[in-house]
Amino acid sequence: MRVVLLTGKGGVGKTTLSAATAIGAAEHGHRVFLLSTDPAHSVGDALGRPVGARPVEVAPNVVAQEVAVLDEIDRSWSAIQDWLRQLLREGADELLAEEVLVFPGLEELVALRAIREVEALGDFDVCVVDCAPTGSTLRMLRFPDALAVFMGGLFDLERRAARVLRPILGAIGMRGFVPGDDVFGAFERLVRDVDDVRQILLDGDRTSARLVTNAARVVVDETRRSFAYLCLYGVATDAVLVNRLLPEVARDGFFAKWLAREHEEMESLEASFGVPLLRAQLRATEPIGVEALRAISREVYGERDPAAILHRGRPLRWRRLGAATLLEIDLPNVSKEEIEVTVHGEDLHLRVRDARRVIALPASLVGRRLTSATLRNALLEIRFAR
Amino acid sequence: MRLVFYTGKGGVGKTTTAAASAAHAAALGHRTLVLSADPAHSLGDVLGLRLGGGDGPTPHRVTPQLAALEVDARATLDPHWGAIRDYLVSLFRHQGIEDVIADELALLPGAEEVAALLAVEAAASSGEYDLCVVDCAPTGSTLRLVTLPEIASRTLRLLLRVQRAVAAVVSPVARAVVPVPLPGPEVFRDIDRLLYKRLSALREILLSATTSIRIVVTPERMVIDEALRAHTDLALFELPCDAVVMNRLFPPEAAAEAFFAGWGRWQEERLAEVGELFAPLPVLRAPLAPDEVVGAAALAAHGALIFAGSDPAARLCDAPRLRFTRDKRCYRVELPLPHARSDALDVAKLDDALIVRTGTRRRAIPLPRKLAQLSLVSAKLEAGLLIVRLAPAADGAR
Repeated sequence: MRVVLLTGKGGVGKTTLSAATAIGAAEHGHRVFLLSTDPAHSVGDALGRPVGARPVEVAPNVVAQEVAVLDEIDRSWSAIQDWLRQLLREGADELLAEEVLVFPGLEELVALRAIREVEALGDFDVCVVDCAPTGSTLRMLRFPDALAVFMGGLFDLERRAARVLRPILGAIGMRGFVPGDDVFGAFERLVRDVDDVRQILLDGDRTSARLVTNAARVVVDETRRSFAYLCLYGVATDAVLVNRLLPEVARDGFFAKWLAREHEEMESLEASFGVPLLRAQLRATEPIGVEALRAISREVYGERDPAAILHRGRPLRWRRLGAATLLEIDLPNVSKEEIEVTVHGEDLHLRVRDARRVIALPASLVGRRLTSATLRNALLEIRFAR
Repeated sequence: MRLVFYTGKGGVGKTTTAAASAAHAAALGHRTLVLSADPAHSLGDVLGLRLGGGDGPTPHRVTPQLAALEVDARATLDPHWGAIRDYLVSLFRHQGIEDVIADELALLPGAEEVAALLAVEAAASSGEYDLCVVDCAPTGSTLRLVTLPEIASRTLRLLLRVQRAVAAVVSPVARAVVPVPLPGPEVFRDIDRLLYKRLSALREILLSATTSIRIVVTPERMVIDEALRAHTDLALFELPCDAVVMNRLFPPEAAAEAFFAGWGRWQEERLAEVGELFAPLPVLRAPLAPDEVVGAAALAAHGALIFAGSDPAARLCDAPRLRFTRDKRCYRVELPLPHARSDALDVAKLDDALIVRTGTRRRAIPLPRKLAQLSLVSAKLEAGLLIVRLAPAADGAR
């Protein structure tokens, strides 16, 4: 089953484009599942009909569902929360277990488990997901690792040193520090679930992420950052969708300057990602319902199959070499005299001939010194000092 | 010093709105500092200045009455977070996590928020400003920003206790049997110093009567929905909202164009809706300008349009806050929770705290000693007001 993940800042029209992608994929003959994991569900609004926590057919060959995120979280966390609550009470401090357990971004990732359930049904060729993976969600893709680090210590305490430690913990009034079997089970399930989601998301043959943006500067900046993080964490991004472009009739009226600014932003967008840039115009009214969505899908994808992989390859790759960090970018058909690399604040500017590509740096690289940039076999290697 | 936060979903025009209100306030004679807590700084762009780089935490003087600062989270926090970060990196690397990703994972969650709060504290204690306007990151982070002191200090009390006990008694044993590096005392010293002590002090500033939060929205349904949730969450943590700013409203000449007429009507409907939903908060109307508003003079003029005669430094609405009242043998706890739904609301009493959950947010409200001994009798939601009754257990309550 293919997974097409549409993501972007709130308010850019991500849900409308997700629904349009699903409708368009069905037109190409696929059996499509449209899944919303955004806690602020609006798939129903876009389709002009109610959609809920149970799958419902919304168009021929399109089934839609809005995941009940809170229920999902409660289901997987209750045992862990109970343990923490116990732990905290034994710590003689009436703290809130829930607060301790708020890992930013984890909620969305828990919701993404629904993808696996759709796959298990075996009835669908494509799952289109309307979601909001922010930087913190992407970080949580590594949650199984991080959790294993933290909990691994505790698990080992339990398994390898329980006999030594239990009396000691008991003596200092912290017997509850050693969790029971149900807690271990819940942690293990959670780690396994998140790991399953990760397997799906990081498989570029199965999953493509598409970034939805508007041609406004603040939104574009954020899109660049999301793009950098998707690349960093290894999620294949195969297109950028620019939504709500002002129509050319705006040229002669109040919006003339805004239209000119959009044109500037589009130029910068074209050079920024190295994946196809697809477009949708602002409509004269809010696009609602299957017909309106089908028209948008045709405008965005043209003859293309929305379920296809629109671009292959990882446009940006980071790796560590000793104390330095390397950023690798494929740059075919360019000679090194035509390239200029500079750092401006949180962005890397890469000028190739007359086009300037702006690449947002991961937060851990901001402030590092750029030491060299080498072009070899169509591969640009940019080095940052520790 | 008055402290006014501007918050809202990303892309709604918070920075321009915050800068415009600061410039207008400065023009009215208030000594004003506008500071940006958004990691994607655009305050400099809006002011038409280069704020970043070089001068560190010193605000940039824009006009005699207006100063501006983009908070550099990394520079501000490195002295505090360094030992913790190094420990986390070593831990993650030990587990075979790729180095670059280990570096990312070890960043302080909410670093920008903490750094911004530290800058606010510095501005408050300098005595140089009558008004500090904060341009916040998107809504979720804002809430994290303002609730962090409360959550962090509670969590850390536990961590410190666990650490002291475990490190002192268990560490020599654990080091031998546990296959991961354990944190040294410097890690906990940093946690204690930065998060526990400083953040508790910051919480006092945030909850004082001189703080207001203004929610910026655009006439779009999703943006408004999120603003409603933010409003509830802010109320849960007793953070006082005093206005909503509706940004990017089409002026009449724009709404008169054929293509945009439908959107003009749509905006009017949203404006009316927001007025009803957020009442009694005033809704300020910020018109879409013909082009981006850049520079202190243009911003001040734009701010004058938004505030239409009222003072950006004033408190624009006195919304009710948490109250404890007595009613015969019963005590009542009243907490305004606008837009909260009773099916997504949970109230419980745990020792000397009242635990309130709305949606995904939970808060432990510490109870005065006298109320802490009582039992929960009932909790109900009446027109956006949560009323919890507490009584002695002998009165037949649970």
